[in-house]
Amino acid sequence: MTRRAESVLLGSSAALAAFGVALVELSQGQHISAEVGLTFFVFVAAFGGVHLAIRSWANLAGTALLPLASILTATGFVEIYRLDPDLASRQRWWLLISAILASGLLFGLKKSGTDLVRRYRYLILVSSVVLLLLPLLPTTGEFPIRGRLVNGSRLWVLLDLDFFSIQFQPGEIVKLLIVGFLASFLAERRVALAMMTRRIGRWNVPEPRQLLPVVIAWLLSFVVLVYQRDLGASLLLFATFVAMLYMATGRVAYLGVGAGFFAVGGTIAWRTFSHVQSRMEAWLAPFDHYDTTGYQIAQGLFAMGSGSLSGSGIGLGRPDLIPFASTDFIFAAVVEELGLAGSVVIMSVYALLVAVSFGIALRSRDIFRKLFAAGLAFTLGLQAFLILAGVLRLLPLTGITLPFMSYGGSSLISNFLLVAMLARISHEEKV
Amino acid sequence: MNGPIRRLAFAILVGFILLLLNVTYIQVLRGPTYRADERNPRVLIAKTSKERGLVVDRNGEVLARSVADPTDQSAFVREYPFGDAFVHSVGFSSLLFADRGIEDTYTEQLRSKQDLTISDIVSALLDRDLRPQNVITTLDSGLQLAAINALNNQAGSIVALNPRTGEILAYVSLPSYNPTPLLGSTSGPIGDALDADPAEPLLNRADSETYAPGSTFKIITTVAALDAGLSTPATAYENPIELALPGSTSVIRNVGLGRCGSGSEVTLAEAFRRSCNTIFGQLALDVGAPQLVVTAQAFGFNQDIPFEWSVLNSVIPPASSFSDDQAGLAQTGIGQRDLQATPLQMALVAAGIGNHGTVMAPYLVASVADSDGNVITATEPTIFSQAATASSAAEVAAMMVDVVASGTGTNAQISSVTVAGKTGTAETEVGAPHLWFVGFAPAENPTIAIAVIVESGGLSSEGGSGGSVAAPIARQVIAQWLGVSP
Repeated sequence: MTRRAESVLLGSSAALAAFGVALVELSQGQHISAEVGLTFFVFVAAFGGVHLAIRSWANLAGTALLPLASILTATGFVEIYRLDPDLASRQRWWLLISAILASGLLFGLKKSGTDLVRRYRYLILVSSVVLLLLPLLPTTGEFPIRGRLVNGSRLWVLLDLDFFSIQFQPGEIVKLLIVGFLASFLAERRVALAMMTRRIGRWNVPEPRQLLPVVIAWLLSFVVLVYQRDLGASLLLFATFVAMLYMATGRVAYLGVGAGFFAVGGTIAWRTFSHVQSRMEAWLAPFDHYDTTGYQIAQGLFAMGSGSLSGSGIGLGRPDLIPFASTDFIFAAVVEELGLAGSVVIMSVYALLVAVSFGIALRSRDIFRKLFAAGLAFTLGLQAFLILAGVLRLLPLTGITLPFMSYGGSSLISNFLLVAMLARISHEEKV
Repeated sequence: MNGPIRRLAFAILVGFILLLLNVTYIQVLRGPTYRADERNPRVLIAKTSKERGLVVDRNGEVLARSVADPTDQSAFVREYPFGDAFVHSVGFSSLLFADRGIEDTYTEQLRSKQDLTISDIVSALLDRDLRPQNVITTLDSGLQLAAINALNNQAGSIVALNPRTGEILAYVSLPSYNPTPLLGSTSGPIGDALDADPAEPLLNRADSETYAPGSTFKIITTVAALDAGLSTPATAYENPIELALPGSTSVIRNVGLGRCGSGSEVTLAEAFRRSCNTIFGQLALDVGAPQLVVTAQAFGFNQDIPFEWSVLNSVIPPASSFSDDQAGLAQTGIGQRDLQATPLQMALVAAGIGNHGTVMAPYLVASVADSDGNVITATEPTIFSQAATASSAAEVAAMMVDVVASGTGTNAQISSVTVAGKTGTAETEVGAPHLWFVGFAPAENPTIAIAVIVESGGLSSEGGSGGSVAAPIARQVIAQWLGVSP
């Protein structure tokens, strides 16, 4: 696929978003407004901008990544617009900011490339720990950076300057930084980590001191779970860590040990925390707890079930009845109106995006870049899987965003950066 | 190193395949369940805001319709032009409460199928009609209002039907309530207040409450005796001052505590005209429990009566329960003891006699038509049972004519029409008796059969009887139906 084809596909996504906005307006009995043109313009500017940045600074990158991301962004945007036009106009700003930051990342990496990540890995580690702990700052006071309590979770940071205030979820960015750090750390230590000199019974096990990073990651995830009450981020962080250890060493033992640690942590969490218990309760029997914990899951199921094969049509369903429809439950909202047809398309696009990302990792020759790409692909795939499985009641619900589709600046930015990083890795392999 | 990466990539793709299977399960296989779940707000929203069809009476008078919601252009609200008059038959469809009546039973026909889904568009292209359909009932709004008026705010019920077909003409249960205040989303307290009202306006007395049938049950006792060949209207019976009940110290006495007329013997027809308990207690003993129960069941007791919704069964105890309770059998023969009957059931008894012994299945909905008036389905009258032979029915009918002409039911007389009837004054364990009248008219070729019950004496309190209170009500309703002056 050529760059030209890529640009045509990106243009199609922009048209898709604009067409969707027009459909929403018509279905609500309104006249077609300037929102349609504005949406088209913003999508062209955002994806066109990233496209140009890739052309300029990573022109050997694969061409499939960005179009796939743009389809998801466009579909999600139309649903956000359908749920709340004000939210959509904010999401348009986030889209522009995300594109600028992604282009900026590609520009910043144009000379030294991903080596920069390798070089500054401890700086990255420290900043990710700091970022992760930022939401635990006091929620009140004079200090311009404050933590925020949203829906019982301490995930948000409020940057409150005199002329400007913004809130963001540092956890979203930390996800990328941690993958970068781990890729660089493991690329160096993988041989030592792969040594399995100890034996317990029939099994070779890693040296206990080599397990230290696993324990640290486990504790860090637990901090996220306990202090920030964020099930999804905690699980994602830990799983990414274990997965990267496995990919670096090829030792299944790490998966086993990771699963063991997860079982212990999960059991403790289940026993100890009411919010984990209520999630389990809602998962196992949402309709028995319809008036309390199960309400959201039940509403999601009602919405998806009402969608049937072909959906109600954009703007003609009632996805506004689902709590958190524009963030965690965006998938349920979309497929109420697009039906199973929409579900299959969306899931296929995610699967393709994950496959393309893993493909970049598989084709990379450099160990660091290979691990980096694989880690990014894994975290993207797992995040999409976890929230979809939660909404579909395959797994307990973990409150994380659906990449590219959910409303939210931090999420959109981090996923744009993820794609830009993958594009850069893909480019470097062909230089 | 590519091995582990491939395996993890594969694991994630397997995860996505599971998601695809699961979403198919939820949206397609479980979809209909979720779409119909009463907790799914879409069900309610679709139900209450969409247009529903008309419910009209037999003359096209509108009993329920949808009108544009004044607060929301695209939505409809339900309107019941007759207020509380038809709530126990037409029912209502609301946001907060379970649907009732025809609005419930015929909700599928009354609702609009225009859901703006692809399948709707396909259906429209295939020329299927998605508009709500209209329900044409057998009710007569003029008769219904006359019946409500005749009942004069007394708690009770009136069921009138065409004995030849089973078409329900009037279906009254008082006290009643206006469904309109219950339609909106803020009607919870109004519903709670109705529910807590000791007068029980929500109770449909016509088919969801049973009463001892009292002397109206003597029709069944008589049919049992005639059909068994035990007696004819002219059969003479010994006329005691009271009937000693076998195996018991208690006795059955007549109203007024005297003999049945002056003679030492009395014919069955005479006893029927005077409604003598002593004779009918003895008659029940002569007939025996098996025959009495079989006859009562043929009229509908212990049976599920086919109707637009499931109605409460009227009850006669099984024959075996009387084997060592002859006293109970005698009391059952005069409509007391453990007998329980709905007003609908007793209307069917009168209708069966009026229709040569054949009880027609009662029904409220004559037909369903599309919005252009083309009939889609029409109800064919069906036979519920052959409860009495034609000759027995004719003999009982003649005795019922005598009841109104010169017996306990003279208050049901209409000068230009022969009315057949039977009164009942049913003892209750507490309070004044329930006052009954069942009958049909014109006796020679009836077009209306009726059951009237006034609960606990009504306005007459202790002093009333079926003849003094219920019979005049029946007279007014029958006169209204036949278009004659009462």
